[in-house]
Amino acid sequence: MMIRIRFRLVAVLLLLVVLHFVLRPFLGDLRVAPDLLLLALLVYAIQARPGNAAIAGCAVGLVADALTPVAFGAGILAHTVVAYLAAWGKAVFFAESLPVSAGFFFAGTWLRDVLVLVTGGHMVERTLLWQLAVWSPLKALTTAAVGAVAILVFRRWLDVRIRS
Amino acid sequence: MTLAPDSFSSRRDTIAFLLCLLLAFAARLAPAPVQMTISNAIVSSILAPFLYLQEQSAVVRASRIEYLTTVEDRDSVLLRAQEVQALTEENERLRALLGLRARLPVHHVPAEVLQQALPTAGLMARLSVGLDDGVQPGDPIVAPSGLYGIVQSATGDEAAALLWTHPDFRVSAMTADGTVFGIVAPSPSSEPNTALLELRGVPFQERLAIGVEVYTSGLGSPVSVYPRGVPIGTVVGVGVEEEGWSRTYLVRAAVHPASVSHVIVLTDPTVDVGTAFRTPGPQP
Repeated sequence: MMIRIRFRLVAVLLLLVVLHFVLRPFLGDLRVAPDLLLLALLVYAIQARPGNAAIAGCAVGLVADALTPVAFGAGILAHTVVAYLAAWGKAVFFAESLPVSAGFFFAGTWLRDVLVLVTGGHMVERTLLWQLAVWSPLKALTTAAVGAVAILVFRRWLDVRIRS
Repeated sequence: MTLAPDSFSSRRDTIAFLLCLLLAFAARLAPAPVQMTISNAIVSSILAPFLYLQEQSAVVRASRIEYLTTVEDRDSVLLRAQEVQALTEENERLRALLGLRARLPVHHVPAEVLQQALPTAGLMARLSVGLDDGVQPGDPIVAPSGLYGIVQSATGDEAAALLWTHPDFRVSAMTADGTVFGIVAPSPSSEPNTALLELRGVPFQERLAIGVEVYTSGLGSPVSVYPRGVPIGTVVGVGVEEEGWSRTYLVRAAVHPASVSHVIVLTDPTVDVGTAFRTPGPQP
């Protein structure tokens, strides 16, 4: 039973990773497009131990930094912290409700962006303010919406019970 | 002392977290060439199939959306092409009369921009071409409306592009008539959606009107990175004055990186490409 659940989890994560690359050219303004790679990490993190989530975050961060090597290492740091906190958040408090899950994805995405930008230090003054106050929340919103849909569609595969 | 199972697993989690943080700091503090080497190694191995998928996806999107535009462009290009042969012959005849050598050809490679998700993706982009296509680090990149950036590093079939929005980006610039020169850099205080640059070091006695277009000057030592004549943007106002010696002008960029999906990498940047961007005006 556990093996089947894990297989399904891996299948959903792989689907999100593939869709991240395939759908990217179709997602319009990329400053607000959902980040499915981060979503896959968050979906994994809420089901994993904090240590395993941190290692997964480190791997995803390495991939993100390799794709955009502006501030190499900032992505690793940000994804590690977000995944670790997400796993702890699940352990300490996690209501099985769709809005809470969406809020969780929103917060995770926004916090990731904050950590990447602050650690990187490449954006300053109004550019940084605009990114954190406008574009990052919008991206977090779209990521949260896609995350909620993904949870709803794959709730049985992910073994998530949603309270009505 | 024997650790309780919960305590042990909690400590194991903390150790894993701290090790990952240590790795992150080590990566952040590593020298830039080491960072680029790791980045390129990951892109050309683990990520290669995923980037291939993204590239194919970008091609499908382009072919679907831009089909009608391409047909229109093709028709107008066909009309212009009919005049090219006569112009080429005339040009060769005049060059021979003046004793000039043949015009240098412009070598270029078209590429798809593989946009990424990090918030810093507006400063750097991945391109679908690399060393195998003749692209080298340092090659300039242009979009249909103007300057886009420069190739920072390249692997066999991928390249990392430093965009004009990056704080380290600089380009020697001039006005269209070639009378005023300066250095263009991204404006640190601009809003991301206005895409502002700064034209720095313009002599105090030179005044630029709002609306003046700024181009790459092609100046450099020993050779320029950017060819002469690529549009950079349009002057929209005066920035700061530095102790009465020079002025800084604000320039609205000709290209907004977020809206670019296809670019051209110029593999032979020493030629003047200005005529490729100027729209033909009425003949005197």
